[in-house]
Amino acid sequence: MSLAAWVRRARTPAPAPVKREYAFFEPADLFDMDIKDDPEASPVLCCTGDPAGAAAFNALWLKRIATSGRYAAAVSVRGQGGTPIAEGGLEARAHDIVQAAVTVPRQAVLIGHKEGAAWAALAAGRYPAAGLVLVSPQKVPKQPPTPVGNPSVLLVVAESETQTKETQAVADAYGIAPLTFAGSPDDVFKGAGAEGLLDAILSWLASKKD
Amino acid sequence: MQEYSSQAAYDRGEAVCVIGAGASGLIAVKNLRENGFEVDCYERDTVLGGLWNPQNQHSPLYPNTHLVTSRSQTEIPDFPMPDDWPDYPSAAQMLTYLTSYAKHFGLSEHIWYGSEISHVEPVDGSRFEVVVKPAAGNAARRLRYAAVIIATGHHWSPNLPSYPGLDQFRGTVLHSSQLKDPSRLRGKHVLVIGGGNSGADIACEAAVNAASCVHSVRRGSRHLPKYLGGEPADYALARLNSRPKFLRRFLTDRLLKGPESLAARMGVTAESRPSEEEPVRNGRYMEHVGDGSIQRRGEVARFDGFDVSFADGTEMRPDLTVLATGYRPKFTSVEPRLLGIEGDSPYPNLYARMFSPRKETLAVAGLVEPGVGVLPIVHWQTHAIAHWLLVRKSDPERAANFRLQVRSESEQDAGEPAGTSPRHRLAVDAEVYLASLGRIIDTLEQEPAK
Ligand SMILES: Cc1cc2nc3c(=O)[nH]c(=O)nc-3n(C[C@H](O)[C@H](O)[C@H](O)COP(=O)(O)OP(=O)(O)OC[C@H]3O[C@@H](n4cnc5c(N)ncnc54)[C@H](O)[C@@H]3O)c2cc1C
Ligand SMILES: NC(=O)c1ccc[n+]([C@@H]2O[C@H](COP(=O)([O-])OP(=O)(O)OC[C@H]3O[C@@H](n4cnc5c(N)ncnc54)[C@H](OP(=O)(O)O)[C@@H]3O)[C@@H](O)[C@H]2O)c1
Repeated sequence: MSLAAWVRRARTPAPAPVKREYAFFEPADLFDMDIKDDPEASPVLCCTGDPAGAAAFNALWLKRIATSGRYAAAVSVRGQGGTPIAEGGLEARAHDIVQAAVTVPRQAVLIGHKEGAAWAALAAGRYPAAGLVLVSPQKVPKQPPTPVGNPSVLLVVAESETQTKETQAVADAYGIAPLTFAGSPDDVFKGAGAEGLLDAILSWLASKKD
Repeated sequence: MQEYSSQAAYDRGEAVCVIGAGASGLIAVKNLRENGFEVDCYERDTVLGGLWNPQNQHSPLYPNTHLVTSRSQTEIPDFPMPDDWPDYPSAAQMLTYLTSYAKHFGLSEHIWYGSEISHVEPVDGSRFEVVVKPAAGNAARRLRYAAVIIATGHHWSPNLPSYPGLDQFRGTVLHSSQLKDPSRLRGKHVLVIGGGNSGADIACEAAVNAASCVHSVRRGSRHLPKYLGGEPADYALARLNSRPKFLRRFLTDRLLKGPESLAARMGVTAESRPSEEEPVRNGRYMEHVGDGSIQRRGEVARFDGFDVSFADGTEMRPDLTVLATGYRPKFTSVEPRLLGIEGDSPYPNLYARMFSPRKETLAVAGLVEPGVGVLPIVHWQTHAIAHWLLVRKSDPERAANFRLQVRSESEQDAGEPAGTSPRHRLAVDAEVYLASLGRIIDTLEQEPAK
């Protein structure tokens, strides 16, 4: 975030506060002796454009992430899941993500799915995420803000999306090549496709040095 | 150097030393680490948060301290406060906030508590040898660092006025930082001396808790309520800065008209232009003057037995006198010359209010009174310092040009101290200073010419 961008934001009315739905799962919640909270591993905060919001990650994601020793959380932005509707567009949703991120106990990796990727990308322009993961991104601004604190960025798309303009634009904006997963971009919350996607993300997280 | 242990200093290589774990030190540690530096932070107290932590031995907090700057203008730019907090959080919330910042970014593991830095000595060109005063019994430790950032704050050494007869005065006299417990005011006849934020806040506490409150000020000062036009005042005024210049003046005057005429009615008039000094930000003060629970007086002339006489010839017998006369900057560990401190003045002369004029790898964070939130300013200062240290290492030519730029930025800023009292030596116009910081950061972040 540049100083000028911060000055501008500090002088713009803040989005109306909402009580945000926030789901989380800690390694300890698994009651599994073999799984230890890894204090070195960054926690993860997920969001999706799917109207279900945080609840979408309950079926598989949160537990699965916690199994890797990471604190796993998901948030519903305004108008999604259990979070009330409130005014504000893209910016307000990015605000919701940042507000959730600062309540995560430690510096968090942001994972955004579909439109959620756009919110996460904007949030990463204001909050020094420990990593940024964009899954089948949609509506990401042409020139997303430079992520604060220079985190590693991962772009994962379904095989069917590899050649789309959207994917190309995001890949170019961050100067990275997309990774692909088998399955449909809308079907990432459970099933074999979801498992494969999560494996890919978790092994990327484990390999990146943070 | 024999006064320190004869052991060789432990060389910490490229690591940076940050002195102080108050807000400024914490932000410095976070931003340096984000830019890849190894950091050791030394805190003389046993707790973090600096002046916002009531357990800090030097904490200046008084009963019911709240922020005078609003949440959106005070929070650290990349770590906002929870948006369900009030517009003006309490000191306790401020500590909660700083604690969660430290936890979130894993700062504590880089902080050495109970470790006062007693001496910082330049060695080997641009490096420093730092002496850690032992907490108990042990020998002093000496370490070498590539750079030092001083974040020791400037609100812990009370500025104590001298008046004829004060030494022999029989009544109770406390500096504002010693007041702590609100019950000390209850039922007392209280005299508060000093018209800054501490003085105004404590006078308001006395107005509702004490038997009577006299507030003595030696000159007028600018007062702002905490809200203007339905918005937090600092936010409302800062917003006008994004309007075209010709409109700004008009809109500002319109916003300030009501509060200014109220202040005039209460006999509180400013002697300086806006932005030359920090305003007093207090929404309750004028009301208490208006209902007589705060009686304003001029300067104290002398103390005598149990009595106090004022310059206007009036007298009173206070049960408790509170000296809300502010603080003096104090740098105990580094040779004053390195900070551009000359003669008797305790005030440093730094490049861009942060860089030592003598040593490229020595900087100070948080030594400004911007009249707006201090934390965002410190965020950008330490962002600049971290980038400066990177550029200095990687590209000496750019570094040299950069020094020239910073010098010229500082020359524009130098000259006469703003305001009318020596304490305003630290005051900066936030708008001007942020613009200068912005230029500095832009230069440092430019891609090196290949
Ligand atoms: C009563 C009061 C109210 C304020 N209200 C506001 C407000 O509303 N908004 C705002 O923006 N600002 C406010 N401020 C300004 C405040 O100074 C900043 O907000 C900020 O807290 C300054 O932090 P700091 O880290 O620079 O200093 P400090 O908080 O003083 O921290 C300095 C730290 O350095 C340590 N230290 C000192 N010397 C050494 C040494 N030799 N070795 C090791 N450690 C050392 C100290 O123990 C301390 O922990 C207020 C100040 C006061 C006094
Ligand atoms: N709630 C808050 O957030 C809050 C509360 C308190 C303080 N603060 C901040 O903390 C800092 C310190 O504030 P402060 O109010 O303690 O101190 P200050 O702003 O330095 O004010 C000191 C006051 O004492 C007066 N004074 C100084 N020496 C005097 C003398 N010899 N005789 C008579 N009067 C004398 C000064 O008058 P002159 O102007 O004539 O020198 C001034 O009115 C400021 O940055 C302030 O904004 C914030």
